[in-house]
Amino acid sequence: MAPWQDSRGRLAPLKAIAFAALFVPAAWLLYGYLARTLGPRPLTEIIHASGDWAIRLLFVALAITPLRQILGWPGLIALRRMAGVAALAYAGLHLSVYVADVSFDLGKAAREIWLRSYLTIGFVALLALIPLGVTSTDAMTRRLGGKRWRRLHRASYAIAVLAIVHFFWQSKLDIREPVIMAGLFLWLMAFRLLPTAARRGGAMLAAMAGLAVLAAALAALIEALYYNLRVGAPLARVLEANLGFANGVSPAAIVLAATLGAVAAGAARAAFLAIARRPGTGARALAPAARA
Amino acid sequence: MLIKIKRGWEKPESAVTPEHLFWNRRQLIKGIAAGSILAGGTALLGGDAVAQADPSSSLYPFKKNDKYKAPRPVTPEMLAATYNNYYEFGSSKRIYEAAKALPLRPWEVKFSGMIEKPFTLGIDDLMKKMPLEERVYAHRCVEAWSMVVPWSGFAMKALVEMAKPLAGAKYVAMKTFMNPKVAPGQRAAWYPWPYTEGLTIEEATNELTLLVTGAYGKPLPHSMGSPLRLHTPWKYGFKAVKGVVSFEFTDKRPKSFWEELQASEYGFWANVNPDVPHPRWSQAQETVLGQDEKVPTVIWNGYGEFVAHLYKDIKGEQLFM
Repeated sequence: MAPWQDSRGRLAPLKAIAFAALFVPAAWLLYGYLARTLGPRPLTEIIHASGDWAIRLLFVALAITPLRQILGWPGLIALRRMAGVAALAYAGLHLSVYVADVSFDLGKAAREIWLRSYLTIGFVALLALIPLGVTSTDAMTRRLGGKRWRRLHRASYAIAVLAIVHFFWQSKLDIREPVIMAGLFLWLMAFRLLPTAARRGGAMLAAMAGLAVLAAALAALIEALYYNLRVGAPLARVLEANLGFANGVSPAAIVLAATLGAVAAGAARAAFLAIARRPGTGARALAPAARA
Repeated sequence: MLIKIKRGWEKPESAVTPEHLFWNRRQLIKGIAAGSILAGGTALLGGDAVAQADPSSSLYPFKKNDKYKAPRPVTPEMLAATYNNYYEFGSSKRIYEAAKALPLRPWEVKFSGMIEKPFTLGIDDLMKKMPLEERVYAHRCVEAWSMVVPWSGFAMKALVEMAKPLAGAKYVAMKTFMNPKVAPGQRAAWYPWPYTEGLTIEEATNELTLLVTGAYGKPLPHSMGSPLRLHTPWKYGFKAVKGVVSFEFTDKRPKSFWEELQASEYGFWANVNPDVPHPRWSQAQETVLGQDEKVPTVIWNGYGEFVAHLYKDIKGEQLFM
């Protein structure tokens, strides 16, 4: 089964589009490298960008299960493996270009990874992704059995934590994106803390909306704690900055918008299906999924 | 097998964008967009708008001083002017456009602290009093990249002599402008703005220490710290404070912006040394802007004969952080 096919070998448009989209950042970087548009230190640019995409795609993979329930879109599962394997591929690119940047001096790369704790953490995260990538095939899933496979792939949560720490640690001054990642991570993890029975319907949507607010608040707190510990900035002053737009859109606001946006989309879909399901509305034909 | 891949900058002279076109490409595009190539052409003939507005531009180029040698050829101006750390205008290196928001005149420079008589001087009056010259120096960023720039400016020694410090003054603290309205980075109130840096009086009056007003034979572009910035070629680049508005003479060691933020990574001395790594990366090599191969970093960035003696008797200090 090719990445753009469903299990019966037919073309699956969603998978095909997603598969193509996963190559866009890499193609963009390759174009930038060849066309010399990445600035005077192109390798540094590629290291940063490929690392960003590795983490983003890992989060896409982690978000699939909650989003399936929230959006009422079970078909999303088809994208999870693709996103996870792509995260591994971008992480591999990240490390490879780092090695290229130290002029392919493997000894030096190894020494640096060993000496600099944030590199060690990133390296461990990458190593831990490898068994998940290797066991991502249908054959391996069958061989391991669902239960063992799921247990193994729970490592992705720990890997995400390592990736966020690595991301925070390498930042010089700008911690917007790691703060956003941390907020989204908390929200995604909160979904998994819901009792299985509560992972559906309006109650779940309400819970996820509440947790969205909580995750955004925690993101703001993480940001404030970071600046408090690092610069001794008063917590209240950093938290206050979330209330206005003087510094641009705050990371917490982005977390809130993304998470509430997902819940709102899920609620809109549920409402649409509820109307469609009502007999005599004539909308039934518009919503074939309503039969489910 | 040696595969020689032609790098982007290895282009014939004929392929180089003429400088006036490079700096005015926006006007050119606007001119075309307005359907009036002629209007665009007029704007181009008018030259660099910044240079025009700068009353000091007629002073350039300054007399060359060839005493100090740089280890490599001069970095292309386009790279030096568009790859800059200037956190007041953003946390990426691409702040060339954003930094243009800073008004450069009037620009008052304040002299205060332990001097005979505090005073304030406009930048153009200051330049009139100073021995203007051009020197080619290497610049080594703490992030392990470097460039070579023909700087225009004057020896800081002359400025210190003009300020007439009292005998007790041991340090000079320098501060960047503070204007969050045009510098969005400064709106993040939890950073220790304005950017502050400091030197000992001995460092400030060392013959190498240069206060910079221009580069490449013209006034500095905003991105490089116009209208006044420091350059100490044997120290990491973050010491080279930009957009300076204040010199304060003091007997207390100033705490710099980065030292305040992360004292374990960025210290007061910040002298270049390949054998003392930054806690998060090695300083043994550096990427030369515009060049793919790395080159070994040299202690004192190669300027040891002028400055190493300054530190002979300093004990118990982290001189290279």
